[in-house]
Amino acid sequence: MIADLLELLVHGLTLGSMYAMVAAGLALMLGVARLINFAHGEFFMLGAYVFWFAYRELDVPYPLAGLLAPAVMILFGMVYQRTVIRAILPHSWHVQLIATLATSIVLTNLAIIVFGTQPKEVPTALSSRILDIGGLRMAWQRVLVLAAALVIFWALHRFVTRTRAGRAMRAMSQNREACAVVGVDVQRVAMVAFAVSAALAAAAAALVSPLFNIFPDMGTGLTLKAFAAVVTGGFGYVNGAIAASFLIGVTESFAGSYVSYAYKDAFAFVIMIAVLLWRPQGLFGRRIGI
Amino acid sequence: MAPGQQRYVVHVLIFTALFAALALSYDLVVGHVGSLSLAHPAFFGVGAYTAAILSTRAAWPFAADLAAAVVAAGLVAALAGVPLFRLVEHAFAVGTLGFALVAWIVATNWVEVTRGPLCITGIPKPVVGVPGGPALAIATLPAYYWLALAALGVVLVLYRLLTTFRLGRAFHAVRDNEVLAASAGIDPLRYRMLAFTIGGALAGGIGALYVHYLSVMCPEEMTVALTVNLLVIVFLGGVGTMRGVLVGAVLFTALPEVLRLAPTWRLVIYGALLLVIVVRSPEGLEGLVRRRASAR
Repeated sequence: MIADLLELLVHGLTLGSMYAMVAAGLALMLGVARLINFAHGEFFMLGAYVFWFAYRELDVPYPLAGLLAPAVMILFGMVYQRTVIRAILPHSWHVQLIATLATSIVLTNLAIIVFGTQPKEVPTALSSRILDIGGLRMAWQRVLVLAAALVIFWALHRFVTRTRAGRAMRAMSQNREACAVVGVDVQRVAMVAFAVSAALAAAAAALVSPLFNIFPDMGTGLTLKAFAAVVTGGFGYVNGAIAASFLIGVTESFAGSYVSYAYKDAFAFVIMIAVLLWRPQGLFGRRIGI
Repeated sequence: MAPGQQRYVVHVLIFTALFAALALSYDLVVGHVGSLSLAHPAFFGVGAYTAAILSTRAAWPFAADLAAAVVAAGLVAALAGVPLFRLVEHAFAVGTLGFALVAWIVATNWVEVTRGPLCITGIPKPVVGVPGGPALAIATLPAYYWLALAALGVVLVLYRLLTTFRLGRAFHAVRDNEVLAASAGIDPLRYRMLAFTIGGALAGGIGALYVHYLSVMCPEEMTVALTVNLLVIVFLGGVGTMRGVLVGAVLFTALPEVLRLAPTWRLVIYGALLLVIVVRSPEGLEGLVRRRASAR
């Protein structure tokens, strides 16, 4: 019984890690560029396909293929910022939202054309090896996901609080104009934010793909859930988004088992709406961004 | 034209009329009170399922199930609006998209009511008429064409009435400057809720007409793809303008028939088209025409 509960908790934390890596990137972009990137789930999807291509088609060993996915997606994030984001930044938020939504539709359907709708499986040596701690059984891949997530979030926190670029991002989330006035290269910082966000999404993809499958429209639902986490955690506050992601992941795991598996994808939005009715600024909402 | 071809043209015209009406109901919210709702497929779906279920299982007459569809969709929109309008700007858009997603999940999984992926089939053709008086069965394509056109006419009149007079000015005040509107005694929330509810109710009615025409209702009819279609129509033609939305609907339904594309490629092209339109000309074709006219 206890082992069952713990197992559900581990599953929930794994899901939470995935949502958190995607949501943290979204919150970062929102903080730095005041922009919601509806194509963010497609960063995850493309990262997963890059990983699949390197790992299964080119036979690159797992750790290397896992690093290759974020590296490629960093380039993609920078190109995306240079092209789409630069073109839409001067426009109203309506236009920005519709433009990124349109990008997401284009990327998803191009992926269907290129890769087909058949899900891709990418099992690793770790996804079939089971760790048994006194009845609590879990795949080693889950241990890897949780450990890697801890390291990644620690590194992200260090980056945002200690480095020059990270501090510039925090400053920009508070006041863009003032940053431009004191000589922060606003465009460059925005590009770094997009690169980091894309890397986080791709890292999540490389970590969890061996547990789930890869398919072209996996990004859309993920974007929405990550948004639910961003809104629940307090708009544009990265640590809040991470905490809310874990809340959503664990709730999904338990509710999917005890309430209804068919409706598990709906819980993130139920949580979001419930939290917003109670606290419109989100769980950890405050004035300062990132 | 061969009879088959003729039937095909009428079919496309019916779709054009229904999509134009649906896009107008959507534009009431997006174009006139400036709330970027992405929940429209949910209200369309509620109306469609209400009509489908009542006409197949309870054998309700067409007029009654159409009225029920309008009321049900309007009610769901009003109830959903209460929490959703606590969100502003981006958060509202995300919240409404989440709502639409949940509605689709419910439609897919609530098999006892919606039959889920098996779809509700055998929805009868509509019969219009007064009780006790003569009844007219809408069984042929041209008859359905007139019905769809009548529905579009009703939506056009409502759209005009709602967006011109005092009410329309209040809508536009809320859209253009919320703070100023509130200071002038125009409660933004009230007018947004009004537009959202009416838009939802109309979408429900069009959903009912749609399923009576196709005689089948599946959960896929209410996915995010429908939102994308509506965004393309509204932003292609010109957001917030009647002529623009009508032009958008005609282009949107005629274009794929001319190009004969596979659905996947169609979405790639629509997505790219939408991206180019909103970046290059956020007011759509209507904006281009107006700029041309004022330059002269």
